[in-house]
Amino acid sequence: MKKALLTFFPLITILLMIWGYYQAIYVAPNDAMQGEVSRIFYYHVPHAMLCFAFFAVSLVGSIGYLSYRRARPALAQASDALALAGAEVGVVYCTIVLLTGPLWGRRAWGIWWTWDARLTTTLVLWLIYVSYLLLRRFAAGPQMQTLAAVLGIFGALDVPIVYMSNRWWRTQHPAPVFGGGPDSGIKDPAMLAAFGWNVLAWFCWGLLVLFLRYHVERRHQQYAELQAEEALLSAD
Amino acid sequence: MDERAILDHQFVVAAYTITWVLQLGYLAWLGWKWRSEKRDAERRSRETR
Repeated sequence: MKKALLTFFPLITILLMIWGYYQAIYVAPNDAMQGEVSRIFYYHVPHAMLCFAFFAVSLVGSIGYLSYRRARPALAQASDALALAGAEVGVVYCTIVLLTGPLWGRRAWGIWWTWDARLTTTLVLWLIYVSYLLLRRFAAGPQMQTLAAVLGIFGALDVPIVYMSNRWWRTQHPAPVFGGGPDSGIKDPAMLAAFGWNVLAWFCWGLLVLFLRYHVERRHQQYAELQAEEALLSAD
Repeated sequence: MDERAILDHQFVVAAYTITWVLQLGYLAWLGWKWRSEKRDAERRSRETR
């Protein structure tokens, strides 16, 4: 069952990626006001939505680590690996948001960047999680995982602020595509389909890399544990 | 095609290329890391035997 899932899930994901790309480039019509540049939206918005989801995974892992680190160390290590995987995949998605957004902004607004609430809070979110990854990469010692978990929880607090920023404050960033009032939502069915397929495709892709990253980290933890045990034995 | 449409097209190509390069680059890095962890585990099991 597990082997079949490991074979078919990547295959389905690749097919979804191709289908999503085809829908975004060849099927969805150009936006009447923005022209072709609006097609950036089919990659930019799904990445923005999904980076929140992966940071939420990191939050769950961080809470799990802090909850279980004394009572159930094995479960705490698994939670820590999940927190790291979620944060890393989230940073990749958030980086794409921060790079594709200015490309759209340059054509739509005539500027690459502006310090409005949505853009600034997203940049802060990215910086928090990059610092989380740097902490994990360069800090050593038994406290590192605890500090990282606290930083992971702290970073996740910025997610609702980013989400609500263009609802709470008047921003240059476009109004929310969904859940932003009676006029929000995608009216054209072909545009909505292209958007939906790309959300699904990038979600499956994200799950795939999250799974890979989690297993790489678990293997690393097991290897580090064995090395520590051997070091203790040789010291005796 | 007017100049505006050409520029729009180039920006779309740039955005899609950046996305694919970053995602595939990350996947390649994960694959490399997976292999190096596997190699370390194999080396360790050889040493303990």
